[in-house]
Amino acid sequence: MTLIETRSLTKDYGQVKALDRLDLGVEPGIIGLVGANGAGKSTLLKILLGLIPPTAGSASVLGLDVVGEADEIRKVVGYMPEHDCLPPDVGATEFVTHMARISGLPRTAARERTAEVLRHVGLYEERYRQIGGYSTGMKQRVKLAQALAHDPKLLLLDEPTNGLDPTGRDEMLDLIKRTGTEFGISVVVASHLLGEIEQVCTYLLAIDAGHLLQSAPISTFTQRTAVLAVEVEEGADRLAAALAGLGFKARQDEACVLLALDDESLYDAVRDTVAELGLPLVRIQQERRRLEEIFRDDAPAAGGVQ
Amino acid sequence: MTTAPAQAPAIELVNAARWYGNVVAVNDITFSLGPGITGLLGPNGAGKTTLLHMLAGFLAPSAGTVRVLGLNPSRDPSVYRRIGLVPERESVYGFLTGFEYVRFNARLQGMRDADAASRVAIERVGLQDAAHRAIGTYSKGMRQRAKVAGALVHDPQVLLLDEPFNGMDPRQRLAMMDLLGEMAAAGRTILFSSHILEEVERIGTEILVIVAGRLAASGDFRAIRALMTDRPHMITIRSSDDRRLAVTLMSDPAVFAVTLHDSELAVQTAHLSAFRRIIATASRTAGVRLTEVSPADESLESVFDYLVHR
Repeated sequence: MTLIETRSLTKDYGQVKALDRLDLGVEPGIIGLVGANGAGKSTLLKILLGLIPPTAGSASVLGLDVVGEADEIRKVVGYMPEHDCLPPDVGATEFVTHMARISGLPRTAARERTAEVLRHVGLYEERYRQIGGYSTGMKQRVKLAQALAHDPKLLLLDEPTNGLDPTGRDEMLDLIKRTGTEFGISVVVASHLLGEIEQVCTYLLAIDAGHLLQSAPISTFTQRTAVLAVEVEEGADRLAAALAGLGFKARQDEACVLLALDDESLYDAVRDTVAELGLPLVRIQQERRRLEEIFRDDAPAAGGVQ
Repeated sequence: MTTAPAQAPAIELVNAARWYGNVVAVNDITFSLGPGITGLLGPNGAGKTTLLHMLAGFLAPSAGTVRVLGLNPSRDPSVYRRIGLVPERESVYGFLTGFEYVRFNARLQGMRDADAASRVAIERVGLQDAAHRAIGTYSKGMRQRAKVAGALVHDPQVLLLDEPFNGMDPRQRLAMMDLLGEMAAAGRTILFSSHILEEVERIGTEILVIVAGRLAASGDFRAIRALMTDRPHMITIRSSDDRRLAVTLMSDPAVFAVTLHDSELAVQTAHLSAFRRIIATASRTAGVRLTEVSPADESLESVFDYLVHR
C-alpha cells in the first residue's frame, strides 16, 4: 500500500503559499524529508497528521484521507514533535502510559506497552524519575517512546536529533534505524542534517518553496562516480604525472590524485605506480556523489576529471 | 586603557577554572589559539558554553587567567570592541527588524556609520530580503543568521559562536561554513562549538575537545589521532583476492591483525606510516588488484569517540 499520497496538495496562509500543488507518492520505508526553512515541511507534517486541512487538493496516509479520516490516521500514526513538549513534573512511565491510554489502549495494555517501548528506547531505572530532571538525550527518547506507544504503522519524527551530542545522536539514529527495520514501522524523518539522512534513510523527499524538488531512493543520490581518488602522504604530483604519462586522465588535488575510472586496468596501474615510486599510500577510493549536491547551486558535475 | 602586547595569542587560557558553587564547569584548562578557525567539541554539559562565556567576558574565571587579544575580558571592556559573540540562546528581540537589531549592535559598538556597517553585515549572512521584517516572524535559521550579523557588524578580530548552525537548513549551513572560512582566511580568530562532527571536519582540522570540564585534546585532529599510539589504526581494503592478500599482509611486521569479512578486509596496524609504504608493493607481490583502501578510524568522529570514551 502507498504510504503517503498527495494530489495537487496546496496550503495557503493568507498571502503565503506553504504548499503549492504538491504531488507525492511514497512507499513504506525510512524516508528522509528535507527542505529549506520555510519550504513547507512542517505544514506537510501537520496536514499528514490531520491537524490542519489543506486549502486545495487531497492527501492520504496509509490509504486514509487526511480530512475525512483524521481520527483513523491518529490510530496508526505516531508523532514526535521538534519542540520541548514534555510535562516536567511526571515520570516517563506515567506520561507514556497516559499517551497510550489517550490513543485508546486499555489500562493494562497501556502499562505493558509503556514498559516495552521505554525499554526499546533505552530508558531503564530513570523512567520513574520526573522528566524535568532529564538530559536532552533522555527527553528525546521519551518523545520517541510516546510516539511508539500505540504501536503505529507510521512514525513522523521532526528533527529527532536536535540538541543531542555526538554520542546521543548516534544512539538516536541507531534507534530510528532499528525501529524502521526490525519492527517494520515506516518512518518519516524531517532533518536539516543530510549526513544523518544518508546514514539512516532509504528514500529521500526534498521540498523547496512548497514544490517537490526530489523524490527518489537515497542510493540514487549517493551513487559511486567514475572518479577514483588516490591519496598519498607525499608525491601526489609525481603520481599524477606518472599516471598521466601512462595515458590515464589524472588531476592533482592537494594530496589526492583524481582519476577517470574508464577501465579496470587503472587499478593495477595505480598499484604499480605507487609501488614503483615508493609512495606512502593513504587511500584508494571511488568517489561518491553527495546528498548535498542537490542543494548546491554551483554543483560540480560528477566525474569532472579533465 | 591597557594596550595589548603585540605578539599575544588571540585567545589564551592559563589554568583557567570556573565553578558554580560545588559544580566544576571548567577545570584547569590551558591553551592558546591564533588566527584561523577552531571547532570546540564535547558532550552536552562538558563546559563548552561556560568556556565561551569566559572568553566573552560574561564570567570571570574562578581561578587562573583568561586573555583575549592580550586583555582580560572580564575586567577590560575595551576588548569587547574586538570580540563578536553568537550565543546559543535566543538572544534577539522579536519586535525589532533584522536590520534594527544589527544596527543596534553597531551603535552599541560605537560605530560611526552604523547604517552602512549593518547593511554590509546583513548582506554577508544573506538576510537582505528579510532585513526589514520583525525578527519575531523569522524562522529559526533566519534568527540564527541575524545573531551572526549582529556579532560581526563591527568586524571583530575574535569571533565566538555557540552552536551557530543550529536550526539552519542545508543551504544556509553551506553558506555559513563558507562565510566563517572566509573570515578565518582573512586572519580572524574563530572559535565555534558544534555537535555535528562531519561539519566541523569540513570547516577545518583544528579542534579543542572538552570532556567533563577538562581539556581532553587540542590541535589538528589528525595529529591527535597519530598520538594515540595505544589505538591500532584500522584500514579497510577491497581487492580481487582478499584471502591471498591477507596472507601476504600478515607476514609483514607492520600488520598485527587481519580480519576477513564478506567482501572486505579489515587490517589493524600500529605503524601506520610503515603500512602505507608496503601496501602497494605487498599487493603487487601477491598479484592482487586493489580496488579500495580506506582508513577506517582516522575521521574526526573516531578521534572524538576515542577521546570521550577512554
